[in-house]
Amino acid sequence: MTHEELEESVPLYAAGALDKVERQALEAHLLSGCASCHSALKDYQSIAALLPLSLSPITTPRSLKATIMAERNPASLPAEAAQNEPVRPSLEPGEWMERLFPPVAPARSSSLPWALGFAALLIVAVGGYAAWNVSTQRSIATSNIQQLEVSLREKSARLADLQREIGDQTNALAELRNKLQQQTNEASEAKGQLAQREAELEDIRAQLSQRSIAGAARTPQDELATLLRIPNVKAVTLTGSDMAKRAAGFLLYDARTQNVWLYSMNLPESPAGTTYQLWAIRDKPISIGTFQMDTGETTHLLVKKVLSFTDAKTFAVSLEPSGGRPQPTGPIYLLSRS
Amino acid sequence: MIDPTLLARVAKGDQQAFSQLYDHSSTLLFTLAVRILGNREEAAELLQDVYLEVWRKVSCYDVGRGTPIAWLVTLTKSRAIDRLRARASRGYRATTPLEAEPTAQLADPGPSPLETQADQELRMAVGTAVAELPQAQQQAIELAYYEGLSHTEIAARLNQPLGTVKTRIKLGMSKLRESLRQWGNHGELP
Repeated sequence: MTHEELEESVPLYAAGALDKVERQALEAHLLSGCASCHSALKDYQSIAALLPLSLSPITTPRSLKATIMAERNPASLPAEAAQNEPVRPSLEPGEWMERLFPPVAPARSSSLPWALGFAALLIVAVGGYAAWNVSTQRSIATSNIQQLEVSLREKSARLADLQREIGDQTNALAELRNKLQQQTNEASEAKGQLAQREAELEDIRAQLSQRSIAGAARTPQDELATLLRIPNVKAVTLTGSDMAKRAAGFLLYDARTQNVWLYSMNLPESPAGTTYQLWAIRDKPISIGTFQMDTGETTHLLVKKVLSFTDAKTFAVSLEPSGGRPQPTGPIYLLSRS
Repeated sequence: MIDPTLLARVAKGDQQAFSQLYDHSSTLLFTLAVRILGNREEAAELLQDVYLEVWRKVSCYDVGRGTPIAWLVTLTKSRAIDRLRARASRGYRATTPLEAEPTAQLADPGPSPLETQADQELRMAVGTAVAELPQAQQQAIELAYYEGLSHTEIAARLNQPLGTVKTRIKLGMSKLRESLRQWGNHGELP
């Protein structure tokens, strides 16, 4: 408060109309030694003290004086009693006059400044505590907000992680689905292949049964004997040419298995560097295979698989250089009779 | 009027002086106490406390702060308003409101036998000065003085702006000071 404001509050103080804080402010100002305010207050206090004179006087009860005189403890000197009076904690309206003491009594006059100083300290302490409290609460609130923010960030990060995981798992799921589709395709393909294999197996079984029908031919002779019992086997007789008049042979052809058997007898030994070659002749000769005759051999069996044999009209065996030739070049030894 | 030397004698334990002090001040203090408390019994109790306190604390009186009667009036008013507030905080209402007092006032119209002519002149001067105040200023001052209300409380009570109330009190006190200047300048007031 400025001095003007304090000075203006003097009449209000005298009338007893100030708030406690304003009252204490003015009293502190008076204690600081402001002569003009002190003088003004003394005037106004004097005027205020006159106000009850405007009331119609009411006589005191007769017994009151006696009671008061009796209650007063004559043994206790007023000055001593005053020193024993406890110091009031705060200033009240009118206490300026009631509590302030003349400067000539330093021990007493020091009590109000002390009280006011204490009050000032108290105000500072309370203010400080309030400020500290507010600041503490604010810092607690700030710290709470920061914790919440940190927590929020963590949660957001966790959410992002979870979303990433979900994305990853969605991708993995799509991949698995693709794989499943692929494997389903492969499985159906395998099923097709299996069906084909089963068909092949069935074929093989049929062939096996035929072979078992063909018997357990362990030797060419046995096989020939078995062949002779199979129906639909084409048989061709071969006779010796001028090169070997004693020679003879016959040829068996199974159209179903496309196998050819040549059984030759009394062919002369094939000299070194030469080989016998069997030909099937339609429009031109086609080599069926080669074979050799050693010294002392009289018979030989040639077994070959031959394709497109059915149209051949003539069969012949010629002596050719080793390894055979695409076309017959040497002398004919055996020839079919067509 | 009370001579400051009377208080000096009381401070020395002079019971005769104390008795004189009572005779010269009790009517004024009792009137004030009844006005504030609105109750004679309680005013009488209050006066017992006040005089006991005066007896104990008279040595604290500083003539530099004010006249002896101003000191006594201030002390009585302060203690009466203390009681008023304590009573308000207990939710107590006066059983004998102030309005019930006029008969007592009429029944006791005469001046105290101890009252001097100067005292009577002063009483008339104060009565005139207060009566001459505008009603609003008188009301505001009396609410503060006799009911212990602060300017904020008066503003709320009267439903008036705080500044208006402050101004009324300041103006009223200033007018009283002007009207009673000759009495205030008198060294022995009252």
